[in-house]
Amino acid sequence: MTRDTSDYVAGRIERALASDPRTHELGIRADVRDGVVILRGEVACEQRRLLIAEVVRDAAPELDVRNEVSVPELQPPGEEEKLT
Amino acid sequence: MIRVAAVGDVHLDEDLRGSLRPKLADIATHADVLLLAGDLTRHGDPAEAQVVAAEFGGLAVPVVAVLGNHDYQCDRSDEVTKMLEDAGISVLEGSGVVLSLPGGRMGIAGTKGFGGGFPGKCGSEFGEPEMKAFVRHSRQLAEGLGHALKELDAGFRVALTHYSPVEDTLAGEPPEIYPFLGSYFLAEAADSGLADLAVHGHAHAGTEKGHTLGGVPVRNVAMPVLRRPYAVYCLGTGDESACR
Repeated sequence: MTRDTSDYVAGRIERALASDPRTHELGIRADVRDGVVILRGEVACEQRRLLIAEVVRDAAPELDVRNEVSVPELQPPGEEEKLT
Repeated sequence: MIRVAAVGDVHLDEDLRGSLRPKLADIATHADVLLLAGDLTRHGDPAEAQVVAAEFGGLAVPVVAVLGNHDYQCDRSDEVTKMLEDAGISVLEGSGVVLSLPGGRMGIAGTKGFGGGFPGKCGSEFGEPEMKAFVRHSRQLAEGLGHALKELDAGFRVALTHYSPVEDTLAGEPPEIYPFLGSYFLAEAADSGLADLAVHGHAHAGTEKGHTLGGVPVRNVAMPVLRRPYAVYCLGTGDESACR
């Protein structure tokens, strides 16, 4: 009986993203299915988004990479909050 | 009234040099002090700390910081701290600072803090040496925060940490990782030290607002949560027009 062990691969990819000096990203989620890894999360700039895909290709060269990581824009400071 | 600006988890390196400074140019019109809640660098490299110093040094308001777990990754946190201090940024760890601001005297006590979890779902100093060391580190840092808070001679007191003191502001994170995101030891310290506000970062997928069991407002100011360069919280009463 063949069991689905793709979550182990996802775990290996997430550990690589956390420990690789090119990324050190702890907030990226990897989902692996049917030979594809889908990456989700947010980073601060486009360069970091591209490096994430690079590290994942090195960590799991057998997978196609779908990079859905986004780069959000910062909004103005906005309204203050009164606490007392 | 004192206007407290705060942000954490800016994770700066050379790629982001100059990205925040323009957004901080007018901070004195919005706030009296800026707190930085750790993870200032990407992985604690002194070269990254230079970027932090350039972005946050020499602002028109005092800047007070704690380090976060990322700032320890290269095992060079002493150098990171010195670079920030040389840029005029106060870096706290089991210590405090009192600022005389237009709205009164405000004390800030800070620590990185650590994990361990929350009541009913937390680790204990029991068993293997590694487990005992994990929880002991968290307890000792929280004790340092508590002592520093109690020593503040100020009208307003703020507890500044990287790790979260409460579960409230972790909502949105997977519950399984809560013990790696904070510890209730920090909330106990904030309550016993009569803090008026507790500010933390670390939980990028969390939410901004919570409170301790003792009623201290807790704010998660991780930049991915705020989606703005900083949030501003007003303490005290007085000049209502100063905080609209």
